[in-house]
Amino acid sequence: MRLGDVLTGGALVAGGGLVAHAARGFPRMAGIAYGPDLFPTIAAAGLMLCGLAIAAEGARADPGAAAEQERLAPGRIIALLGIVAGTALALPWLGFHLTFAAATLAACRVFGGGWIAAAALGAVAPLALHYIFYSLLRVPLPWGVLTPVAW
Amino acid sequence: MLEHFAAVLAPTNLLVILVCTFYGAFVGAMPGLTATMAVALLVPFTYFMDPLAAVSAIVATTTTAIFAGDISGALLKIPGTPASAAYVEDSYAIARAGKPRTVLFTALLTASLGGIIGVAILTAAAPQLARFAVRFSSYEAFWLASLGLTCAVFVGTSSVARNFASLFIGLIIASVGIDVVVGHPRFTFGSVELLNGISFIPAMIGMFALSELLRNAQSRDPGRLATMVVEPVGEALRAAFGHVRRYKLNVGRSGVLGTLIGALPGAGADIAAWIAYALSRRLSRSPEKYGRGHIEGVVDGGSANNAAVAGAWTPAIVFGIPGDSVTAIAIGVLLMKGLTPGPQIFTTDAALVYTLFGSFFLANVLMLFSGFLAILAATRLLRAPRAVLMPMVLALSLVGGYAITASTTAIWIILALGALGFFMERARIPIAPAILGIVLGRILEDNFMVSMLKARGQIAPFFARDESLVLGVLTLALWAFLLLRAGREILRPRPLQRKT
Repeated sequence: MRLGDVLTGGALVAGGGLVAHAARGFPRMAGIAYGPDLFPTIAAAGLMLCGLAIAAEGARADPGAAAEQERLAPGRIIALLGIVAGTALALPWLGFHLTFAAATLAACRVFGGGWIAAAALGAVAPLALHYIFYSLLRVPLPWGVLTPVAW
Repeated sequence: MLEHFAAVLAPTNLLVILVCTFYGAFVGAMPGLTATMAVALLVPFTYFMDPLAAVSAIVATTTTAIFAGDISGALLKIPGTPASAAYVEDSYAIARAGKPRTVLFTALLTASLGGIIGVAILTAAAPQLARFAVRFSSYEAFWLASLGLTCAVFVGTSSVARNFASLFIGLIIASVGIDVVVGHPRFTFGSVELLNGISFIPAMIGMFALSELLRNAQSRDPGRLATMVVEPVGEALRAAFGHVRRYKLNVGRSGVLGTLIGALPGAGADIAAWIAYALSRRLSRSPEKYGRGHIEGVVDGGSANNAAVAGAWTPAIVFGIPGDSVTAIAIGVLLMKGLTPGPQIFTTDAALVYTLFGSFFLANVLMLFSGFLAILAATRLLRAPRAVLMPMVLALSLVGGYAITASTTAIWIILALGALGFFMERARIPIAPAILGIVLGRILEDNFMVSMLKARGQIAPFFARDESLVLGVLTLALWAFLLLRAGREILRPRPLQRKT
């Protein structure tokens, strides 16, 4: 038995079950036997069947055949996800330049860069992105607290 | 006709085409910026151009942008446009094996050849192809979308159950937003911005780019990516020409296939690439190498998607029905210029039609020059330290996603789907079928529900027309084949392969 496959299968069955359960609450049009719930329910049922098949594959598999996987580094994974979440939260009020300066600086540190490289990247990257997206492609990037000095 | 082609070679028109091939290469190579977005951003500029130059600009931009999507796909595993997603595993694996320029030059040459095949067919057979495509009703559209999705399971490198699981995840994501039957919001969690569904660009950035960044974040070695070997230009060019010579029949086959698929309304360059890749794998002598760095799939997918760009113009100019989102914008531009696409356009505005054909041909030739320079510039990216490149990719991905909706919802979607993609990869569930599920899910559901309403819940009308019967039987046969294969895999589980 491969425990990882059984867990993956279980997670897919649970996920499909949740979607199917949520879809049951969608309203239907009078006189029609199918509505907004039909498609998500079909997809959820399919996902649950796949979960069962993956779990069955895992249950029958030779445990010695486990693949080598890179070891999970939860600290850096959480840090990177935190940077993305922080960017989404800060962007509207802090503005594009300051948010992306902080995000690129922090990301450089996560990927093993030194403080000097991180600071340099944090200073240059927002300006380069500003030129490409704001000046050339006319994407309306928010200025946030820098609005008084917007150019 | 000759004087119309002469108009294409006018210095102003040549300059427009050349500039737009560079612009297309730049936008297409940027993760998250699609060919559609490149054309949409071009529209304000076409306002100041004459109609011939406007059409040339759109054609040149799209042609190059579709190719340039391969650049970031091969170098960073982030397809620049959805059309490059079908073979990104192969192109990225080849680049990581020290042949980034070889795979990109091969992609450039096959894209150019595929595009030229597409324009040749467009020129010769536009009215006939459009007459076939325009007969499609919601039944055929449903079966065609189903066939496209089944191809995604076919091309998946994992077990059938895992490929299907990925596809169903994509379909569930695609069901977010207002439904087509009663207008009920599904899985929106009260967010107004999710009413229109999950935007495809942030979804693709999250699942491909962020998940790859998360995988990279597991190592703290600041210089690892820079160790990717870049081969000399001459060696890469020789190898690329060798690949094209060796797979010349694939280029021809996928060029024709891509044009035909592109001409079908709703089926654009991305579906053409998926189907060409799946067919290539079925017909190949070494199907087991697909998804692990085999150039044959890149040749087929790369020539099909650029051929489809030309194919999509067929119903657009002959019947005014856009073959894809780019031609939808192009029709808008033509209407803005007082030109109405339709059967009469061949007589009333013949100059425009032949300029379109000529521009397509020229764009595919000039693309060789701009694409070559773009590849040389892009491969220098690899010499940047990983600790600099990865944060730049992250920032580029987040700004690219934000640019689509001008809202931070896009960044939240990138976050959620990036984490999902990362854990899917760890569970050896491929990402590509989920992406196609997201792209085609809405088309599939809309056409299914419209067909169900027309058929009053009966199944027989789904097979009543000749076209729908052929497509339906083909799809069902593939499903039956895949179910049998899934059964075999459960009874005899395959040994696991190490992740590459």
